[in-house]
Amino acid sequence: MTRLVKTVTEMEGRFEEKWVLVEDDGLVSWEAEAALRHVGHPTPRLTGPQRVSGAARYTVDVALPGMLHAAVLRSPVAHGRVTALQVAAAEAIAGVRAVLTPASELGFQQRSGPLHDEPLYAGAPLAVVAADTLAAAREACRALAPSIEPLPFTVDIETAWQEQRFDGDLHEEARGDVEAALAAAAVRVELVVSTPGQLQTPIEPHAAVAWWKPDELVCFIATQGMFDARAELAKRFDLPPERVRVITEYVGGGFGGKQNAGFEALIAAELSRRTGRPVRLVLDRHGEQLDGGCRPATRQTVRLGATADGMLTAIDAEALVEFGMSGWRAVTTPALTLYRCADVRGIEANLRLELRRGNAFRAPAVMEGITALEQAIDELAIETGLDPLELRRRNFADRDQSADLPYTSNSLLWCYDRAAELAGWPDRDRWREPQADGLLRGMGCAAQIWWGGGGPPSHASCRLGGDGVAQVVVGVQDIGTGTLTAARMVAAEELGLPLDRVTVRGGDTAPAIYGPVAGGSQTTPSVMPAVRGAAAAVRRKLLALAGDVFEAEPDDLVVDDGRIRSRDGGLDEPYTAVTAKLGQASIDGSGNRGPNPDGYRANTFGCQIARVAVDPGTGSVRVEGIWAAHDIGRVINPLGASSQVEGGILQGMAYALSEQRVIDRTTGVPVNATMDDYKVPTMMDTPPIVVAFAPLPDTLLNTVGAKGLGEPPIIPTAAAIANAFRHATGRRAAALPLTRARVLEAIA
Amino acid sequence: MKHPITLNVNGTPYSVDVATAQSLLYAVRDQLGLTGSKEGCDDSECGACMMLVDGRPTNSCSYLAVQADGAEITTVEGLGEGDELSPLQQVFLEEGGVQCGFCTPGMLIAATALLQANPSPTAEEIRIGVSGNLCRCTGYDGIVRAVLRVSREGASV
Ligand code: FES
Ligand code: FES
Repeated sequence: MTRLVKTVTEMEGRFEEKWVLVEDDGLVSWEAEAALRHVGHPTPRLTGPQRVSGAARYTVDVALPGMLHAAVLRSPVAHGRVTALQVAAAEAIAGVRAVLTPASELGFQQRSGPLHDEPLYAGAPLAVVAADTLAAAREACRALAPSIEPLPFTVDIETAWQEQRFDGDLHEEARGDVEAALAAAAVRVELVVSTPGQLQTPIEPHAAVAWWKPDELVCFIATQGMFDARAELAKRFDLPPERVRVITEYVGGGFGGKQNAGFEALIAAELSRRTGRPVRLVLDRHGEQLDGGCRPATRQTVRLGATADGMLTAIDAEALVEFGMSGWRAVTTPALTLYRCADVRGIEANLRLELRRGNAFRAPAVMEGITALEQAIDELAIETGLDPLELRRRNFADRDQSADLPYTSNSLLWCYDRAAELAGWPDRDRWREPQADGLLRGMGCAAQIWWGGGGPPSHASCRLGGDGVAQVVVGVQDIGTGTLTAARMVAAEELGLPLDRVTVRGGDTAPAIYGPVAGGSQTTPSVMPAVRGAAAAVRRKLLALAGDVFEAEPDDLVVDDGRIRSRDGGLDEPYTAVTAKLGQASIDGSGNRGPNPDGYRANTFGCQIARVAVDPGTGSVRVEGIWAAHDIGRVINPLGASSQVEGGILQGMAYALSEQRVIDRTTGVPVNATMDDYKVPTMMDTPPIVVAFAPLPDTLLNTVGAKGLGEPPIIPTAAAIANAFRHATGRRAAALPLTRARVLEAIA
Repeated sequence: MKHPITLNVNGTPYSVDVATAQSLLYAVRDQLGLTGSKEGCDDSECGACMMLVDGRPTNSCSYLAVQADGAEITTVEGLGEGDELSPLQQVFLEEGGVQCGFCTPGMLIAATALLQANPSPTAEEIRIGVSGNLCRCTGYDGIVRAVLRVSREGASV
């Protein structure tokens, strides 16, 4: 039955009540003990062969006949006024087909920009050129030789705070009376922590190829949300959505930074509209590091109050954010939700600076908040003399503390136990004994909370042809997370087919099968139930037909391993015994993600333990191991999941040790906007990582029992490392990353 | 100024005219249309563009096309046999060494070069040998495991 129901949906902590269309698929979630043939078994990627053979076509590989290449001229200053651009000189260069400046009349609407005559950050786009070759486009950009009158700028958080340069209102959320609770607390700790600006740095930069055809705008975009991209293009260019097609076959990593159509696709489409030719716009690395986005730096103050035996009585978290996303306040969310506590306050100020505004980067804001909160909790453990894990167990929250609702599932206590067991936590103090190599060692832990329950709308279709091969179509692209592989496993499971008889297509809006943006850890819990529903619809129809063919009762029939069997074992025929009779016809089914359960919150949880070795002579910090236990509900593909956790941990480790957007305060310009100077971890920096997943599917949440996995692994790593550093050295650095200078200062 | 050169890519000779300042990567990707090799930085920072040039692992973004005149070049497209993946390509998938896949072509080339020079490397030697290639998605572990496994199984790369 098809119904319109009202349900609460969530995206990165933004809750919304909306009407969604659902078709009840009658499925119940697979139980924890269910014997599944594919789901839960390590499975190599569906598109793996293409990725390892060079055949995979990323946006940067798309070449169309007559295609032009675009280059971007960027602001060399943090703030200024462009007083002149040598447009005629640029246009005179051979092969130049279009020059766009802030003065150009564009065919699309945007509130500010996209090209700036008063740039507000270094790297802001000033002009774009499309030419026959990239070399000509770049030469024309140089020929534009902008005259810029410099204007004053502020790039440090302190000055912006003193000048009260707020972006939007201060955001405050509180319950109880935190000041009174702090005053009355037996034990108090206060900690001030600074966290760095971190750049997503996907190896594939932002890219788009647009082709404005008479009847359709076709855009190949490196995006995490092809339907969002389509909606943005349609809205800005005032086109009906069905006349915009977005194709995103492969994406070379996103990590939150590749949302919507973006500057690249809008500009490429505009250039194509003007020139009548396809246009490719790929950011160069410098442009990517300047303008691809970032996790904004923060300065946070956390004050905790507790009883002598470590029960939290007050949590007060303040955060100054270095120009984060507009309207996005979640740095203090962990303080409001991770622990059971009656008197809590979170307050955040987003400061406007002459810096590239922050955008989503894996667990945006929450990771920053956990990095501060979990260091404060560690201080409380030291203050109360309690084992840090024991302190966390005592303050475990079995309900969402902000919404006062139960969780659909919560295995955080299991995660504490499992991480401790894997890491050898009970013996952690032995690492502090004098070490033969003269290094200082220690172990620290941190917990994690994130949403990740997903929700509707999310749709899928499934078609079974005469050859007995099923083709699934989903409305999402695979940004490297293995979504299509997981969809194949879920469909194969439900259809009782071997994996090689299920194909999955995604990455194209043309079939008009909607899927959500790959963000907020919502893809798996949103898309997989839809896939299962579509496959189940096909299975039911197939068994009904089998009933006709074999003169059996469909309810007595099951599918397994590509065969149709009767429960009593009397019938055992291949799929094709039925499907071959279809001729050119097919069996079709559609599925969708059902509504979220009423009156619950869906969250992911986890705990990580880090061991570090600090060289007191040089100040170098080496992570010697990370043990991670996460509750993400059912794990569809352990091979993909572990790899994703390892990657997240590495990014979290880098946030603690090496990655930082460095701004020259005298010029306002980032000085390390290259991959040489911006220190992404290499293979030499990788610690041994051990990953475990809580063995409990979330059967309340959806029909596959899965929660999301994208964000959780990055969240607690930096705090665990900082706490391990504290354990090793007895000191805490006031700011991350733990550069050698900071380490030497901290241990001096 | 254009220079006529010959690039022997994956066993096939191609005659192309290249500009003096043009990179080998540009010639192979944009002129020959072999887009398996990727550009991540255009500055010898990431290794995504790595090719074997006369057997030597080379960041082709920072190598002039004219320097490669007459050289034997291997790109990721040349590692397998037709549709058959090489053992290294196969275990990269099985060990979870691939996520988005954008770094993978360069990783495979770097690992191939390493195994040719040192058929049974230790994990540490692999880490050193392939440390010029950046990956932002995986934790690198699957890649190390894959190279170790290929070397243990003694398959020719
Ligand atoms: S593109 Fe050549 S090293 Fe990065
Ligand atoms: S798999 Fe994405 S960069 Fe390595």
